[in-house]
Amino acid sequence: MTTAVRPIDARPWSVKTRRWMHENLFSSTANTVLTVVSVVVLGWAVVGLLRFVLVSADWSVIETNRRLLALGRFPTGEEWRVWPALYAVLGFGALAFGSWLTISRVGLVVLVAVLAFLFGFLFEGQNALLLAGALLIAAAAYLGAVRTRDRSIARRVRLSALIGLALVVPLMVVMLQVGDGVRTSAWGGIFLNLMLASVGISLGFPLGVGMALGRASSLPVVSWVCTAYIELVRAAPLVAWLFMARFVLPDFLPPIAGLDRVDIITRAIIVLACFTGAYVAEIVRSGLQSVPRGQVEAGEALGLNVVQITTLIVMPQALRAVIPALVSQFISLWKDTTLVFALGLTDFLGAGEATLAQTDFIGRDMEVFAFIALGFWAIAFSMSRLSQRIERGLGVGVR
Amino acid sequence: MINRATSRPSIRRLWRTRQSRRLILQAILGSVAFLILLYFIVQASDLDLGLGFLRGPAGFGLANEWALSHSSTESRIDAYLIGVWNTVRLITLAIALATVLGVVAGVARLSTNWIVNRLGLVYVETVRNTPLLVQIIFWWVAVFLAMPAVSARRTLLDLVWFTNRGLAIPWPRATNDFAAIWAGSLVLALAVALWIRHRRIVREDATGDITHANRWALATFVGIGAATFLATGLPYRIVTPEILVSGVNIQQIRGGLLVTPQFAAVLIALTTYTGAFIAEIVRGSIQALPRGQSEAAQALGFSAYQRMTLIILPQALRIMIPALTNQYLNLTKNSSLAIVVGYSELFFVGIIIVNNAGHAVPMFALIILTYQAMSLLISVGMNYLNRRVRLGTV
Repeated sequence: MTTAVRPIDARPWSVKTRRWMHENLFSSTANTVLTVVSVVVLGWAVVGLLRFVLVSADWSVIETNRRLLALGRFPTGEEWRVWPALYAVLGFGALAFGSWLTISRVGLVVLVAVLAFLFGFLFEGQNALLLAGALLIAAAAYLGAVRTRDRSIARRVRLSALIGLALVVPLMVVMLQVGDGVRTSAWGGIFLNLMLASVGISLGFPLGVGMALGRASSLPVVSWVCTAYIELVRAAPLVAWLFMARFVLPDFLPPIAGLDRVDIITRAIIVLACFTGAYVAEIVRSGLQSVPRGQVEAGEALGLNVVQITTLIVMPQALRAVIPALVSQFISLWKDTTLVFALGLTDFLGAGEATLAQTDFIGRDMEVFAFIALGFWAIAFSMSRLSQRIERGLGVGVR
Repeated sequence: MINRATSRPSIRRLWRTRQSRRLILQAILGSVAFLILLYFIVQASDLDLGLGFLRGPAGFGLANEWALSHSSTESRIDAYLIGVWNTVRLITLAIALATVLGVVAGVARLSTNWIVNRLGLVYVETVRNTPLLVQIIFWWVAVFLAMPAVSARRTLLDLVWFTNRGLAIPWPRATNDFAAIWAGSLVLALAVALWIRHRRIVREDATGDITHANRWALATFVGIGAATFLATGLPYRIVTPEILVSGVNIQQIRGGLLVTPQFAAVLIALTTYTGAFIAEIVRGSIQALPRGQSEAAQALGFSAYQRMTLIILPQALRIMIPALTNQYLNLTKNSSLAIVVGYSELFFVGIIIVNNAGHAVPMFALIILTYQAMSLLISVGMNYLNRRVRLGTV
């Protein structure tokens, strides 16, 4: 296939604009009607949004409650525990981001603006300075990774970024335990959502891979047990499992090491991990099925054992094929973390509801919900864009 | 010493043969799974696992009723069944609306019209990346509860009322005893219409003459419906909402149908949320079709609308059905989130029963079974559709 060389368009911009508008907006009567209707709808929405954001909204409800929204009822003076992990996430995340993909300039501006808006509200004083430091490091890491041309260095950068990101959750857990520690029941705000999601992923992903391998196993007993687990978990909605964790789980946990008295947040983490595990298992299973049988046979012919074939040949190909589906599963886990609100916990949404109960801010629903929605949206949207880029970069689905 | 020396190699030999290795692995995992199961059974044996408590009086009333109602003196199982009914009517409506919205938005995303295209993109990316729970609460608190009181209502031509008690819309009301008979005759009319449509399609396929099967079916349905409507003496009348003043300054809405804020919030949130996912499925399925299909239709002189409805969508439907089924199942499970606004669907009622009467284990088992039954029904229906679509075309 030959690509046609585009002739240089030397017409004046007014002609080009008119031409573009004719082609894209007014090509037929029906299209013209659609355009007019859309412009009216869009204009109404944009004017309404601008009037809300700039005129009628009173953002003091967010400013006053930034600590509640960010950390919930996290004990005062213990914030230092959060910083190392935040630095690590931003630093390694930016490194990974920069070494894998280049983001368009508009995308970068939007991302920075949203992050600045969010964090600008959530942090103040000394914390804002600390955050600025973290963001600077992240920017430097991103730029450094983008500029790296040497492929072997780039590969090493990628690997270290991945290892760094994988170590963030253990680092966070350790930081929360050292000294007197902060009990899980004190977690709250968007911090709680982030912890639920990241711990949920770190536990749910290995569980899911194991379950997928088990289900695909040729050993009937193993396959039955894994299938039963996956199908049982997928049978009920996540809220139902969370409520079961509240009402039923204490009756069933063994009284070893205080396991039967674990607080509701730990139980929610267990549920989220088990739930994600079942869905990840189904995704990975579809990836396993996409690996041609010949790959396994080739491995056997080379004299590799089962473990080697699985880890070196089958898994890398299977996981590569399902990266988009995995990312969208993680996005849905991120959105699902807010279901703990239904259990009465003070997560991001719960904290928002709590601010609405304050007498100063009654009726400020729009501001609070817009802010909460934006917070969830920013992270979910960046993840989905990341997945699209990775998908294009890997050429998944392109043979 | 000697014992060890002889036994170790033999275990190793046992490990080396594939057959015995498989057996050992399965025995270990099987017994672990069995022990865990046994542990749960032992723990549960202290609990009363019977469902007898469901026959006791509920002791709570339910809001958000429609067509079927429940009072606090009736049994818990009756309350639960009302919850199931509320879930069913919620998800039926939401699935229908989400499909329409999703197809429209998905086609819009592929439109050559730049603004329509961008509008579709903004809708999909905004709604898809925000938690459903936040959306439900947003619609409930920030939209429906923020509406004016009944006395200060805002209306659309006085037909649709927007109030903080809910949306009041015109609704038919039975005026004589033949109402049920007429409703029954509609089912009959539908059957006759479908039969005529089938006959005409068969003839069209055989002879190649255009038989206008759909128009004939519609005419039959409307004709029979109108005739029986007159014959039974106009059994229904459309009633618009009106005010009933009870006591001092207490205004209630009477007449028409009052859609509660809870139902409206959950319905809109579920519809828009699932619609965004369906839009992406529709877009992907249409893009998966070979470009030649669209170009051939264009070459044959089909209009854009005909091209979409006659050539593109029927083929895309085949690709999208499995993914669509998944979205319907998600919607069914997501309907349980209605618990946060207190819409009395089955999960909400189930949790109230657990709170009042305990018996959490059997109650949750019943809830899971109910969801599983609904999922099964949807899957069976969609699989049937899938087979039909496949047989019908290729």
